[in-house]
Amino acid sequence: MANGSLLTHLLRGEKYPAGGGCLCLAGDCPHCLATVDGIAYVRTCQTPYHEGVSVEPHPESGRLPPPVSLGDRAPVPARSIHCDVVVIGQGPAGRGAADEARDAGQHVVTLESRLGQDAIGIYPGPLVVARTNSGMWHLYPREGIVVATGASEIQPVVPGNDLRGLVTARAAAELTSTGIDLGRVIAVGTPPADVVATTVAGELVRFEPRSGDPRRVGAVVMRDAKGQEQRHECDTVSLGLGLTPRDALLRMARGTNIRGVGDVLLAPDLPPCPSTGVVCPCAGVTVDDLRSVHGRGFRELDLVKRATLAGTGPCQGAVCVPHIRSFLGAQGSDPPASFTARPVTRQLTLGEAAAGAHHAATPRTALDSQHRALGAQMERLGGWWRPWHYGDVDAEYTAVRNGASICDVSTLGKMQISGPDAVALLEHLYPVPIASLAPGRSRYVLLLDERGYVVDDGMVSRDSETRFTLTFTSGGARFAEAWVRDWAESLDCDVRIMNQTMSLGAINVTGPRARDLLALAGVDSPPAFLHHAVATVAGVSARIFRLSFTGEMSFELHHAADDSTDLWQRLLDLGAGLGVRPHGLEALMKLRLEMGHIIVGQDTDFDSTPRRLNHEWAVRLDKPSFVGRAAVVRTNKVSLDRQLCMLEAEGEAPAEGATIWAGDDYAGYVTSSGWSPALGRSVMLGWLRVQPGINAGSAGLPTMVTIDGRPAHRVTTRSFDPEGLRARA
Amino acid sequence: MNEFVERLVDLRWPDHVRPSYDVVIIGGGGHGLATAYYLATRHGITNVAVIEKGYIGSGNSGRNTTIIRANYGIPEAVRFYQHSLEMYGQLEQETGRDLMHATKGLLWIAHSEAGVRQERARAEINTAFGSRTEYVDVKTISEICPQLDMTGQGVWPIYGASYHPAGASARHDRVVWAYAEGAMRLGVHVHQRTTVTGFLRDGDRVTGVQTTAGPIGGGLVVSAVGGHVTTLASMVGLRLPIRTHQLQAFVTNRYAQAFGPIVASSGLGVYVSQTAKGEMLVGAEVDRAPAYAYDSGHSFLRSCAFRSIALLPFLRDLRVLRQWTGVCDMSTDYSPVMGFTGVPNLLVTTGWGTWGFKAIPAGGEQMAALIATGRTPPLIAPFALERFANDRTMADRGSAGTH
Repeated sequence: MANGSLLTHLLRGEKYPAGGGCLCLAGDCPHCLATVDGIAYVRTCQTPYHEGVSVEPHPESGRLPPPVSLGDRAPVPARSIHCDVVVIGQGPAGRGAADEARDAGQHVVTLESRLGQDAIGIYPGPLVVARTNSGMWHLYPREGIVVATGASEIQPVVPGNDLRGLVTARAAAELTSTGIDLGRVIAVGTPPADVVATTVAGELVRFEPRSGDPRRVGAVVMRDAKGQEQRHECDTVSLGLGLTPRDALLRMARGTNIRGVGDVLLAPDLPPCPSTGVVCPCAGVTVDDLRSVHGRGFRELDLVKRATLAGTGPCQGAVCVPHIRSFLGAQGSDPPASFTARPVTRQLTLGEAAAGAHHAATPRTALDSQHRALGAQMERLGGWWRPWHYGDVDAEYTAVRNGASICDVSTLGKMQISGPDAVALLEHLYPVPIASLAPGRSRYVLLLDERGYVVDDGMVSRDSETRFTLTFTSGGARFAEAWVRDWAESLDCDVRIMNQTMSLGAINVTGPRARDLLALAGVDSPPAFLHHAVATVAGVSARIFRLSFTGEMSFELHHAADDSTDLWQRLLDLGAGLGVRPHGLEALMKLRLEMGHIIVGQDTDFDSTPRRLNHEWAVRLDKPSFVGRAAVVRTNKVSLDRQLCMLEAEGEAPAEGATIWAGDDYAGYVTSSGWSPALGRSVMLGWLRVQPGINAGSAGLPTMVTIDGRPAHRVTTRSFDPEGLRARA
Repeated sequence: MNEFVERLVDLRWPDHVRPSYDVVIIGGGGHGLATAYYLATRHGITNVAVIEKGYIGSGNSGRNTTIIRANYGIPEAVRFYQHSLEMYGQLEQETGRDLMHATKGLLWIAHSEAGVRQERARAEINTAFGSRTEYVDVKTISEICPQLDMTGQGVWPIYGASYHPAGASARHDRVVWAYAEGAMRLGVHVHQRTTVTGFLRDGDRVTGVQTTAGPIGGGLVVSAVGGHVTTLASMVGLRLPIRTHQLQAFVTNRYAQAFGPIVASSGLGVYVSQTAKGEMLVGAEVDRAPAYAYDSGHSFLRSCAFRSIALLPFLRDLRVLRQWTGVCDMSTDYSPVMGFTGVPNLLVTTGWGTWGFKAIPAGGEQMAALIATGRTPPLIAPFALERFANDRTMADRGSAGTH
């Protein structure tokens, strides 16, 4: 680090970021944590010093930093980097591995935590994710990963190990090399390189504070071979107690081209079994705690961890695990392996973790700006932004029922299927006859899965002998495409499947005067009910589908999405004299509810059979085979348990989701609800359960129910236009 | 020094394996141990073995996000989970153990009209069946959780929420240990590091299990495994309507307590709470593709961090400590499966999806009652396996969202 680490900067000024403890300067221990520039739990030994840095000491004695975010920060950039080899760690072994790969002509990316490049995990892929001071790196190595993360030094577990002035042997060497005067240094274990120190032998017993500065070490006490305690006064204690491989990345990685080099492959040194003192400084776990839980049956490493929380803090076991292994080993078992290695091996903020992510965009139709210009309130529905209303739901409703109106239905799933096997594929997918559907005709279809559950609905229209246009619900289109392609592949069908959801716009022209509007748009003989034809509408080429969801005569105009704005505006202009206005979803919901038309997703549940939806009419069991047939046949053999029903009530509409009661018994809940201007009462769709003790004539479904404390009744035939004459007009 | 060290539980492991037991329970997680505990405490049945391939609570019981709630979508589920929630409230007193149980309240946020409809429905049916949940407006939401960005970063504005005041949490491990201790104290054998490799059969009947510690006879065998139940069931040729999916989560470092409730959003597919230790705990929905693996994914970490910041901006500068993965047995109707299997002497408690932890007390109690009496108690009768063959599925939108 050019300016040195933040920690060395602090130590030069005799300042400590945290309480005390044996500093490792290698990013392993939790003793140099501080709140740096507003972010808590930052290891100051791994953070480059910069002018004006703000450092708050980490809270001591069990207190915790507040969970806060300071002001706005620039989004963290993310880079995806493709290379041949990633080498993690740039000590001697890592440098050697990187040089070797470069000599072999490979593109190598190296990571070094001292340069602020922390690998946080090796994920399946393999993908190496690194947090760097210049943003997140997502590294995709083609050839391999070399883990050269080295080894961490074992920390002392004896009384006084939270004093200041304790450093590992490597840290002592590094501090000395940066010009920090450690004073009188006593070396325990392996002495530090190039440091003037007095090496003392024996067993480490405790550290004693300095008189006059109870937080700082004044002496180290050793037990010699004769069992005598020897006290050594000092300013600093250097601790060379052994090494533990820093191998979490190596252990979490899967795959064959991942290897370790250097100290990361060392067999871990096992420190002596600790007898007293703090084992886990992060969670404040003592040797007595270990004894206590072990004596009560917590005998495995993981159980000890969970019972004490040792190893669950910021250092993730780097300090405590060697000692707990030693402790458990001394209780008679083989020293257990370490915890399962999991990401993240080095910490990062959520903001850093989120780098490169973005909100999945909710798509807008080609008519989005038209809707906004007309004052529409836009709403997310079925995965699209759609106009909820244009400010006057009643007028929108009335335009449909009494005049003519247009609606943007471009969000419908639209798919063209063609080829020699198109009929065979659709016969398999749909529970109604397809071969007998004449070119130019359309029909309503349910889409069933193998369990006989309704997963979508829509229309099938036959364009020619070998070409069909399918529609699906707005929210179901993506699933439907995968479903159709999957079956086409499974059945080895010779078909072409073209998803036209985005490329085609669709505008529904609906109302008793819809035909008049089409006439003004130059269409003199539009198709009859459940027919379709290609025509030029107000100068725009379109396929006109005659169907009905609103209950009124309706023409769905499918056209190139590029023409949507022209078509929309011309229909509004041409229809001005007819009072044509657009309607949004709120009016549409009401219109279709008066007709009892379901919306898959809103009115269906994820175990809705056609029978439960009262849609058995849309399934032809005389067809020998289609997806879901076996399940429908099987479930038809048992009695019905619940059904989606139409309901009506006097007065205002209950909230959607309201509970339905039959006497004191739960009967179901309302899935759709709205006030019907045409009927002067509320209409609903809702699930009703078959109730015991109700006569079989009504299939066991209650007739009179209570919703929101008010009476409502089930209707078997819709009250509004029961014959469907308006749609066929 | 550390208030979180377990200082009460005393686990008395058996020193031998008996050749046979009246009941052999496969799986030493919450459900298996609770079943053993209630067999011993409620029915005096103590010649029971719990067979665990790892250590107790090493599966989903030790990996879940410890949320206790009863705000489900169908009456049968609300009743069951409400009973479980109430049992949790009494469990510290009953076992004399500190389970770190805390009532926190749960906000389930809606970001669209469709979401509002769903949360209203949830509030209605929960309240109707004794699990109070109310629909709350944005002002109330802000009062309950002032840290929420009500605009959802300008992209996912908050429309409303259902609020379930009884939403709670408890320390998952301690629940497992309290049940294990209570069961073992009364003579139940819990065998850790013992893997079931097959079943002992006499014709159709299951008569015990083959294990890495040798054959163990069982008058009844109960599968309480999580994650690999289909693999286990296939050993007796039993197919279950279950798929196994990964569920991931992550925690931050520990921070001062400042976040009271549990906050969930179906729209953003994320939920957040603060643990008793002070970690912020963030989870998501199950991964779509079925998998048995425990690998943690980077795309999960990235998108879940991103979405949780959109909801709770203060999370941005907190530091992620650890991420992990559990594997969930999802039934096709998102409801659990408890009871007889059609294979004589083999029972199952599974389909615990992402909602197993909250069901541990009631699931264990009811399975024990079924085992002891041979009759399915009314509370769990709707969740029998035969419902799939009989077209009596229990689709529950209340459990199909997050956790």
